[in-house]
Amino acid sequence: MIRRVWREDFRIIGYYTGLVTIGVGLLMLVPMVTSLVFREWASALDFAISVALTLLVGYVLALVSRTKSTPGLTHAMVIAAGSWLVAMVLSGVPYMLSGHMASFLDTCFDTMSGYTTTGMYLMQDLDHISQGLNMWRHLLTYVGGQGIVVLALTFLIGSTGGAFKIMVGEGKEEKLEPNVRHIAVLIWRISLIYLGVGTVVLGVVAIANGIKPYLAFFHGAYIFMSAWSTGGFAPYSQNMLYYHSSAMEIASMVFFILGSFNFALHYAVWTGNRREILRNVEIVSFTITVLTTFSLVCLALMQRGVYPNAVALFRRGFFQLISGHTTTGQSNIYARTFVREWGPLGMLATTIAMAIGASAASTGGGFKGLRVGIIVKGIVTDVRKLLSPERAVVMGHYHHIRDKVLSDSVVKSAAVIVVLYVLIYVVGTVVGMAYGYPMVDALFESVSAGSNTGLSCGIVQASMPTLMKIVYMFEMWMGRLEFLSVFTLFGFIATSFRSMRVRKTAV
Amino acid sequence: MKRLCAVLIIVVLTVLIVTPVLASAGQPPVLSTTELVENSYKWDGKTVSFKGEVLQDLMVREDGTWMNLSDGNNTAMGVFVPKGVAMPAISRTEDYRTVGDVVFITGVFHRVCAQHEGETDIHATSVTIVTPGSTKANPIHLDRVVWFVVLAGLLGLVMWLYYRKPGRGTEH
Repeated sequence: MIRRVWREDFRIIGYYTGLVTIGVGLLMLVPMVTSLVFREWASALDFAISVALTLLVGYVLALVSRTKSTPGLTHAMVIAAGSWLVAMVLSGVPYMLSGHMASFLDTCFDTMSGYTTTGMYLMQDLDHISQGLNMWRHLLTYVGGQGIVVLALTFLIGSTGGAFKIMVGEGKEEKLEPNVRHIAVLIWRISLIYLGVGTVVLGVVAIANGIKPYLAFFHGAYIFMSAWSTGGFAPYSQNMLYYHSSAMEIASMVFFILGSFNFALHYAVWTGNRREILRNVEIVSFTITVLTTFSLVCLALMQRGVYPNAVALFRRGFFQLISGHTTTGQSNIYARTFVREWGPLGMLATTIAMAIGASAASTGGGFKGLRVGIIVKGIVTDVRKLLSPERAVVMGHYHHIRDKVLSDSVVKSAAVIVVLYVLIYVVGTVVGMAYGYPMVDALFESVSAGSNTGLSCGIVQASMPTLMKIVYMFEMWMGRLEFLSVFTLFGFIATSFRSMRVRKTAV
Repeated sequence: MKRLCAVLIIVVLTVLIVTPVLASAGQPPVLSTTELVENSYKWDGKTVSFKGEVLQDLMVREDGTWMNLSDGNNTAMGVFVPKGVAMPAISRTEDYRTVGDVVFITGVFHRVCAQHEGETDIHATSVTIVTPGSTKANPIHLDRVVWFVVLAGLLGLVMWLYYRKPGRGTEH
């Protein structure tokens, strides 16, 4: 039986959503300072307005619904899904004020794409935006990768019992340490150390490639934030093509592969358990699927004679494939090159890689290597059961941080999430086809949105139909939060209306 | 005499009509990024012309200079200027406060450049500045200043209420 919704429920949700919103407002100070440093006064004013508005909304929410009650699982899921929507709208204010967006819907598309680390964009004239706005775009994707709720937990919420549930709602279900605030701090510590290292490495590479030193470290920071969060944004419309540099691509590739790994794996390695890299089911699954899909890409590109030599094939083919597989979406070819040169097989291989995606509890999207590994092991175990004598007890195992027994419930829950992903991929594809796009193109773009990858074959642009924009936004949102919290939000809204009706009838 | 005049007029008109056609036949077509990417096989290895604004970074390498030319809304092409090719001094490149020099280049388009590991690029054979760059005005709008003041005032009030008001409810 579904319980009724009471005023206190709204209070808890409003209070925590308010705190997350305050976190978003404080975050906007970073691009505001960036604009001031670059003497972009108009842009700095836009950010000042956005900071004031976002903090105002956050404080009003927190004030009117202040409570000391801790969130339960339902609240946590609604807070996670709802906070992302509120953040999406308010984070779009500087976008709108910049004059680079054609509509408010396009703005929401871009901010949703940023927070969900997708990397698709509808922004107009990207090559002429301010440094402040570029910083904001990349910061959105960096924070979105770690989870905006994780950010709020670290600085605002503290160690409450319900906090871990909110993190689970945001797709961070690995309990690395007993104290939830410690988990949040740990995630941020790992990410910030990598941010420092990544900015320096990519900045030095940028200088070596001829970019002015004072700008090189900004480029380094942008590309790192995009790579580590598996986001896929870049400061210019050519994406990685802008740099004409294999060193930049390799450095970025290392960071987005690292970013696509499970935080629990990072933690295990950081705490000295280096053998985990070789034994973890996700790494095994990732290696196998990368090799398989890259073989298909090579076959497609060689069949069509796209590249003149092996070096060119590897630099373009492998970068695109691994960028898709880690759900990053950085690109060193033009979007239309997929359609014009790679052809259906190359696009399908990349689509499969994107659909599978990165690791669970990472910054990436897609089915996740853990689930693919579990389902494959589940099938193998079932086949072994069928081939064994009836009295034999056949147990499946998998290794993720420690050896675990493969129970039916684990396989079932992995399969349910994979089915839901397939469902959103199919919905997006059907809508694309209904608007006249070829099936392969529509599938590519839909999977890219649903798996939070961001690679495009040219469909995503400001002129695409409104319904497709909305469908892709839903795909990004659901794909990033892995469905449950979004479904809970819808369920909560429906239950709220029902509770209101019941109360009216009682009166 | 009249006949001679008529012949002369016909000759002059013919020259006027034919000369531009012949001249343009020798001139490579001016193409856009979209045209080059959409029809990459058609233009591969051909001499083309391209016009665009120089984006922020001129990247000087050992064998030449890379520049990215923006030719519209979210479309830009990488142009490689080899060391031997005369490169005019680019006075301004694009940034938030600057409109970069608009340059006209002629060069060979590569669908997948063998020298640059499969990059889609143009190797320039000539570069000329068409329009020098300029400073861009990004004025501060007074109405936005007013909005900021109003919002900041409201925020101050709400924050004061938030931090002075004791919490409500009980710890569970």
